[in-house]
Amino acid sequence: MIKFILRRLLLTIPTFIALMFVTFIAIRLVPGDPVEVRTGEHGISPERLAYFRHELGLDQPVWKQFLDYVWQLLHGDFGVSLSSNEKVLTEFLTLFPATLELSLAGILFAVTLGVPAGVVAAVKRGSWFDHTLMGAAVAGFSMPIFWWGLLLIMLVSEGWHLTPVAGRIDMIKFYFEPTTGFMLIDSLLSDQKGAFLSTLHHLVLPMIVLGTVPLAVIARMTRSSMLEVLSEDYVRTARAKGLSEFRVISLHALRNALIPVVTVVGLQVGGLLAGAVLTETIFSWPGVGKWLIDSIGRRDYPALQGGILLISSLVIIINLLVDVLYGAINPRIRHG
Amino acid sequence: MANPNPTPTLAPAGPLSAFWNAFSQNRGAVGGLIILLTIIVLAIFAEWIAPYSAVEQFRGMTKLPPAWAEGGDKHFLLGTDALGRDMLSRLIYGARISLFIGLAVMSVSVVVGITLGLLAAFLGGVVDSVLMRIMDLIMSIPSLVLAILVVSILGPSLTNTIVAVSVVYLPNYVRLVRGSALSEFGKDYIIAAKVAGVGPIRLMFVTVLPNCLAPLIVQAALGVSNAILEAAALGFLGLGAQPPTPEWGAMLADAREFIRSNPWIVTLPGLAILVSVVSINLFGDGLRDALDPKLRRS
Repeated sequence: MIKFILRRLLLTIPTFIALMFVTFIAIRLVPGDPVEVRTGEHGISPERLAYFRHELGLDQPVWKQFLDYVWQLLHGDFGVSLSSNEKVLTEFLTLFPATLELSLAGILFAVTLGVPAGVVAAVKRGSWFDHTLMGAAVAGFSMPIFWWGLLLIMLVSEGWHLTPVAGRIDMIKFYFEPTTGFMLIDSLLSDQKGAFLSTLHHLVLPMIVLGTVPLAVIARMTRSSMLEVLSEDYVRTARAKGLSEFRVISLHALRNALIPVVTVVGLQVGGLLAGAVLTETIFSWPGVGKWLIDSIGRRDYPALQGGILLISSLVIIINLLVDVLYGAINPRIRHG
Repeated sequence: MANPNPTPTLAPAGPLSAFWNAFSQNRGAVGGLIILLTIIVLAIFAEWIAPYSAVEQFRGMTKLPPAWAEGGDKHFLLGTDALGRDMLSRLIYGARISLFIGLAVMSVSVVVGITLGLLAAFLGGVVDSVLMRIMDLIMSIPSLVLAILVVSILGPSLTNTIVAVSVVYLPNYVRLVRGSALSEFGKDYIIAAKVAGVGPIRLMFVTVLPNCLAPLIVQAALGVSNAILEAAALGFLGLGAQPPTPEWGAMLADAREFIRSNPWIVTLPGLAILVSVVSINLFGDGLRDALDPKLRRS
């Protein structure tokens, strides 16, 4: 097992180096000199320019610049945002809990609805419920979620006045200093009446929008995995023993059917973050996705570079964890 | 499919008719194909089908609702947008752009994917490791974030959207081709071909490749719909096709401010995206079930 983890860890190192290399190159390919971007259009004297270039290490050979860059990254220095003059890492860490909260809510929504729906569809195979659900699932994973978000805002927020249009909480009524960054927890800790409800209220629509694609994928996966398991011998044995249908399905079949579903949930992480970029943009959700898009608009390249590096590292690490977890559950992967 | 003059034949069904028999069993797939063909016809013949040009602005005709709604004009079947451009015409020309993006991305990533995948499988060793690590890297960056990175370097435009989305989907093809090529390697016919003195290029493209095609075709079909979605998302974020190009995602972005006053301007482009993507996905599912029974999802 330790050998497996070590081998998997070693395999990620080249990926990380390549990632650093790509972000390093990317910022150099972007049109515009970093010094000129910082000093504005008026220009500065050649001496000052040389000084700044020296200051930023731009007069060094490229390989040295890259090593310096890696050195900085290893020390947690992801650069300074041009627009806010704050450290990119600090900004990222302040905003990330909002994205994490949204993503967790989205995946929770997808799993709690998708797994039971998939099970019922499999058990009642060929019924109208099965057909409707599978039709909806095709629409679900074909959904342009930026449009889905706008549509829901149009119907639920504007039409029926049921939910707010943007943000994480009613900022006029409630204010408290963030302690964890997770609004649901912070609002409970704040002891302000109604703050928690207001947070939930703000979370519902973005959660549905972000959860729609994973919901469709999970429902389909659960259904087909369940259908496979239901024809297994041990399910027939369980039935033959005289167990109730509910026990057979929920205890004997579902537990085995869930293994591929868990795999799919693990694979959704990258897609979830990509979806978060769109969802956050639509709902003005102050997370890293919206921040990334805003950074492009502001031509804040250090923030963009650091943000992409941090998000991708996160995905690499999560994928690594998921892999190791499967290795622990399923020896066939470990020795494969 | 019903044959108008059924002639009894004893010959075994050819591969094409066997495929069609399996495919036409799936009603969803046939429905998807019909809608897809309609969209393709609209896209190809946009000049003749669309009532107006996609960019012509009609003064005093801005933000008209569809013809059947109150205040609609029968000359503008689906209404007009904020600049008085005919919605129907823009949607029809938009089909051309979206399908073009989808097909272009698919062709680029299929061609590059086949080449790199076969190279990795045949050369092995360092080439294989390096290529696969690069693919790992691409896959570790969330698709949209990677596309944003590429576009922010190259600048937003239709061509760069195609480049960005192709890069995003490349690893799927490379891994698929490499995987199926590797699984073919141990088989007897490869050894026979080698013994017969078949050169490496011929071995790669003529002997091995046709046996990896079924999953590749399925992946390519589903790749078109993914590319359309991804490109529309970039357009929506203002990083794809630029105005006045009638790209569906960009049209949605323009319409955002009218979400309260003119909901149909927001509804129609998204509906167009959804319908095309659904039809391609249904068609792709049918292809998979018909071409590759091993992949059939129950």
